Formats: sequence, C-alpha cells, structure tokens
Amino acid sequence: MSFDWWTLSLQTINVIVLIWLLQRFFWRPVASIIAERRALADKTLADIKAESSKAAADLADIAATRAGFAAERAAILTAARADAAKSRAAQLAEAATQAAALEATAKARIAAEGDADAKAWGQRSADLGVDIARRLAARLDGPQVRAVFLDWLVAAIAALPEATRQAARAKTIPFDAVSATALDPAEQAHASEAIGAAFGGAVAVTYSIDPALIAGLELRGDHLIVGNSWQADLLKIQAELQHDRHG
Amino acid sequence: MISPLASTPLFYLGPVPITSGVATTWGIMLALTLGSVLVTRHLTLAPSKTQTVFELLVETVDTQIRETMAVPPEPYRAFIGTLFVFIFVANWCSLIPGVEPPTAHLETDAALALLVFLAVIRFGIRAGGLGGYLKTFATPSPIMIPLNIIESITRTFSLFIRLFGNVMSGVFMIAIVLSLAGLFVPVPLMALDMLIGAIQAYIFAVLAMVFISGAVGTEQPATAPPALLTRKGAP
Repeated sequence: MSFDWWTLSLQTINVIVLIWLLQRFFWRPVASIIAERRALADKTLADIKAESSKAAADLADIAATRAGFAAERAAILTAARADAAKSRAAQLAEAATQAAALEATAKARIAAEGDADAKAWGQRSADLGVDIARRLAARLDGPQVRAVFLDWLVAAIAALPEATRQAARAKTIPFDAVSATALDPAEQAHASEAIGAAFGGAVAVTYSIDPALIAGLELRGDHLIVGNSWQADLLKIQAELQHDRHG
Repeated sequence: MISPLASTPLFYLGPVPITSGVATTWGIMLALTLGSVLVTRHLTLAPSKTQTVFELLVETVDTQIRETMAVPPEPYRAFIGTLFVFIFVANWCSLIPGVEPPTAHLETDAALALLVFLAVIRFGIRAGGLGGYLKTFATPSPIMIPLNIIESITRTFSLFIRLFGNVMSGVFMIAIVLSLAGLFVPVPLMALDMLIGAIQAYIFAVLAMVFISGAVGTEQPATAPPALLTRKGAP
C-alpha cells in the first residue's frame, strides 16, 4: 500500500474548487430562488393578512355605519316630526288668521249689505209711504183744504223777519203763487189780500198750477220761496226719515 | 504484482502524477458544474419537476444542518452539501464500467478528511475567535486538553478510514465475485454497494457537521445520530 501526497494535494484542491463551483453555480442560486419564493409567499401571506384585517376593519366600519344609519334615521325622523309639527302649527295659525280675516271680512260685508239693504228698504219704505201719502192727500184737495193751506202760507209769511217782508214789498216783480189745482178768481182775490196783509203791504201775485204739489199753495219769488204744500211736507218727511236711518 | 490499493498514475503533469482517482474527480467536477449550470440556468418561482428535485436536495441539506448543528445553514451549506454530493456521486461511479470510485483510494478520502479537519478549525475560529476555539479543547475540563487534541486528529483519521474501508471493500468484493461468478451475479452486491455508498456519504456529511458543531460551540441536538458518534473507530 502506498500513499501519494501529490494525489492528496490535488484531490484537496479539487474538492475545494468543487465546493466553490457548486457554491457559485448550484447552492447559492437554488437557495436564492427558494428564499425568493419563501419571501414571496410570506409577502402574499402578509398581504392576505393585511387584506383580511382590512376586510375586518371594513366590516366593522360597515357595522358602525349601519348603526349610524339607524341613529341618523331616528334623528331624521325626529327632526321631520318636529318640522311637521312646527309646520302644522304654523299652518293652523295661518289658517286661523285667514279664517278670522275672512270672518271679519264676511261680517263687514254682511253688515254693509245689511246696511245697504236696510237703506234700500228704508228708501223704498219712504218712497212707498210718500207715495201712499201723496195718493191719499190728492183726495183731500178742495176749497177747505186750499183755505187751510192759505192760512198756513199767511202764517209762514208772518213768521218771516221783518226785513224779508219789507224787501218783498219793495220788489216790483210779482210773486208766483203755485197751487196743485187752479184757484177760482174769488180764491185768488182772497189769497192776494191775505198774502198782502201778511207782508204788511200790497204785493203783486200771479197764479200758476203745478200738480206736483199734490195739494197746497206755495209762494215763489226771485229771492224768496215759501214752501207750503203736501209735496214740500212729504219731501221734508222723507228727508228726515233718511236722515234718521242714516243717523 | 501491483497492489490493488495503489494509485497508478495515468500520466504526469511535470512531476505531478495524475491518477485515475484525480481524473475521475475532474470528470465528476465537470459533470456537477455543468449540471449545476444547466439546472440553475432557468430557475423560476413556479418550479419545474427537475427544479423541484434540486430544491428538495437543498432543503434537505439545510434541514440536516439545522437539526444537527442547531445553527442557520447558510455558512455551512456549500461545504456540507458539496461533501455529500461529491462522495455520493464518487461512490456511485462504480456503476459506470471501467470507472473506479475516487473514494476507493486513500488519498481522496484523506483529502476529504483533511478538509473537514481544516473546516472545523476555520468555522470554530470564525464562530468564537481563536481563544474560543481553543477553549473547546478544555471542555469539559482542562485535564481533557491532551485527549481532545488527540481526538481531533484521530477522529479525522477514523473519518477517512471509514469511508475508504467501506468503499474499497465494496469494490474489492464486486471485483472478486465478478472474477468468480460471471456477469450478473455481482448485481445484488452492486446494489448493496450503492446503498453503502449513499449511507457513507450521509455518514461523512453528518460527522463533518457534528465535528464543526462541536467547534462552533453549539449544543449537540437530539437529532444527531448517536450511533455514528460511538462508532467512530469502526470502519
């Protein structure tokens, strides 16, 4: 048996070189790809864990959001109810105000219409009364009635102020004595005499007819009119009635 | 008659004789290197079946280092893994007709054991410094220093003698049976020789890990094969 030291040296070097070669071309590349795959797997697992955590967090957020939805819904409902109650109260108040205004307006209109109706009915009543009185008075025309109206005319002239009567005496234009029916000459003479006496002196008097007087005897001059007829009385009564109704 | 244990030079490079073991080693180196280049040329994250096999080899070596030495495998992967692969391929070279395993020659096994001896020193110093490495000789007691020094040398001898004895005996046995019984009779013995070659490669690598682990100062893990430690003197 022999031992070759050259061979020992060569084999030692050969194995060292082989260790280096395999380290360079086999162990390191394969270990690198394994490490790379492991790192990728770890990263994938980490990503999955992160995604899982994120999903869990998202679920928690969704749950919180859903809980918030319920609270928000309750708050919105409460606010809506409050708004509705407020709006209803406002609408009721406005409706009450409008109803009060409409009621006041209606009352005022009803009152105005009542007044207008009352006025119209009063007017018609007065007109009817005057018409009735006119028709009744028209039946009373006669010598006795004309005499009474002459007396009332004389009394009215006598009641005039003295200055008025004096101015009437001084006038040259004759007074017009108007009657509803024609006076006969005797009545005219008697009337002229009585009127002159009432004025305190002779005055010129002409006579005319106005059926609108119904009955009576009126004296009309340039600046003086003495009303003395049913027509004048009725107009006076009608005016008083209207005045009383308006008052 | 030439001893079958002698290494016959094939040729000379100057004064250096090139034996068949060296030439076979060069062939193994070339084949392993080219194979490595071919395998690692198209590594992908989605591995092919071939890539998966070689990744399994790397993972197995890493697992063995981790379980035997209880240290991260990166610094030791290339050394331990290459020892195992080289011895494994060298032992199985006998399957090729006319090729004699380099590990059947004492020089190759001695070279491997010498590398383990040097690696123990290198990794021990790198792990704990020179002082830390020398302290490992004083465990468990300074009285043990001479014995530990002798042990570090004798275990190196036992390491390469074991490998040499197993491989060489297998080659001899097959050669003798082949010369006596004809062509197909040695086949079962060759299969046994393959098994022995694989086991010896594993034993050599594990013992290298155990020796380095002792120098590095890591605790001996429970997974270390205790039978291998108690049979250090046996072939």
